[in-house]
Amino acid sequence: MNNRQAIGALVRKDIRSVTASVQLWLPMLIVPLIIGIIMPSALLWATSRLELRSLGNVSFLLESLDALTYSGQIPQLASMPTDNHRIVYYLAMYMFAPLFLIIPVMASSILTANSFAGEKERKTLEGLLFTPISMDTLFKGKILAALIPSLLLSWVTFLIYGSIANILMYPMFGTLMFPNLNWMILVLWVVPACSLMVILLNVLISAKVRGFQEAYQLGGIIVLPLIALVAGQASGMLLIGPWMLLMIGAVLLLISFVLLRLVTLWNSRQQLAESQI
Amino acid sequence: MYMIEVRNISKQFNVHQALNDVSFTVEQGSVTGLIGPNGSGKTTLIRIMNGVLGASGGQVTINELDAARETEKVLAMCGTLTEHSGLYENMSGRDNLIFFADAFGLARAKERIEELVTLFELQDYQHRKVGTYSTGMKKRLGLARVLLHRPSILFLDEPTNGLDPDGIQMVLRIIRQLNKEEKMTILVSSHVLSQLSAVCDHYIFMEKGHIVEKGTEQEIVSRYLSTPKLEVEADMPNGWHSVTDYTPETISAYKATFQLTSREDIPLLLRQLMEHGQVYQARITGSDLESIYFAIREAHHHE
Repeated sequence: MNNRQAIGALVRKDIRSVTASVQLWLPMLIVPLIIGIIMPSALLWATSRLELRSLGNVSFLLESLDALTYSGQIPQLASMPTDNHRIVYYLAMYMFAPLFLIIPVMASSILTANSFAGEKERKTLEGLLFTPISMDTLFKGKILAALIPSLLLSWVTFLIYGSIANILMYPMFGTLMFPNLNWMILVLWVVPACSLMVILLNVLISAKVRGFQEAYQLGGIIVLPLIALVAGQASGMLLIGPWMLLMIGAVLLLISFVLLRLVTLWNSRQQLAESQI
Repeated sequence: MYMIEVRNISKQFNVHQALNDVSFTVEQGSVTGLIGPNGSGKTTLIRIMNGVLGASGGQVTINELDAARETEKVLAMCGTLTEHSGLYENMSGRDNLIFFADAFGLARAKERIEELVTLFELQDYQHRKVGTYSTGMKKRLGLARVLLHRPSILFLDEPTNGLDPDGIQMVLRIIRQLNKEEKMTILVSSHVLSQLSAVCDHYIFMEKGHIVEKGTEQEIVSRYLSTPKLEVEADMPNGWHSVTDYTPETISAYKATFQLTSREDIPLLLRQLMEHGQVYQARITGSDLESIYFAIREAHHHE
């Protein structure tokens, strides 16, 4: 059995099933477009030009920024000439970062639910179980089929967002500000670890439920801690530095490792076959 | 050598006992019909024989390999067409075959796909999405899919289900061809015995998770033929009565039926009839496999 050939076939087939279904790929493009590109760009553009102190709605953010400036948590803020500089810098470099985790979480959930629970729903999983593909190969193929598009989507959004952020910030700061170390760690370490964890969690859920909808709804629970992270970042309460990010990635990987053990333990060929009868 | 050995297989799904102490053997190169009504456990048995489903008790060996423990080796040797043929509807027929060829790790996949596309006459539809295929076309593509890796054992679960008469004939022709030319051992399940009697040399009758009868057609028939009923077509100038020691049950001008007590009565009766008239034809009624099958089913239905 040529494992690489089988894994490659599984990945190509699953990715094709996503590109063939507009219901699947459209939300996966719209979410990154809105939260990764349109919304951050609009906010950065607005905050770079408006008289911020006259706007009631951003006062909480300005207060957080003042606190951060005085406490020295972000040393660069103190040397900036205006509130606009500070707020643009803070938004671009810190506040939008957790939003970028929503993209791999969302994409991984949709892709994995489609790949496992979707195969059950369409009665094609049994055909796969009747092939001599080992369970190990099957799971590797399925995990990669979700991980690759999820990472590509996150990284492409990151590149577009980074370009826009630099275009908007260059006239103010006179230098390319994006990305900083935090962003690099986030995109290259935390995003892959987070994607992997979400995929494995969804594989576990998908193997136990009968349909795509059920799998997707249960998988959606994972977005909740992310919302808390965004709120924490916005209020300045939870300012995550590089070490913290490295640790978050490590914890996510550790959880992934545990989940992987559970996936292989709970999903033998016989168990999977029985769960879909 | 037995290609398939099923020993005391039982399977329980929660409270439902799907299979109960099922045992049989299948010889290499035979075509065995697994016959039983819907829900009698045929599909569950096929899944267990492949090692895809675990049994609650018992053991299956395929070519001396334990199906539950050496599942991947067993699957590499078997081709199984299930009721849902496992095809991807959003992909073309050819792309389905390419995917499964890669999944099997097939070398020289292109040649094998061409060969099967030609064998199943799929040339004109191979680039169309499977979702647009008719039931017969899907069945043909499904068969091509399970034959990709040249299995030595073929499990076909209700392969004629939903097919028109032409489609049924096509499936039967392919079964015969694979058995003869490639010496494939074939186990084919159906709830319609008459459709399979043209290709099977062995039968297993199932009812509510039990095997109720098994053997070759002759073996089964002889077991149920202790008191044969003979229908005779003859010209008897002096009438049917008092020419033999046997009293006919029904009579018409040229036909009569006799209920005999044993097979040994048949030559005696025929000799006596021939002494008094011209015998054109004699046949045992109710002795065909289908009548026996229904009699067995009827008997178990009342149990």
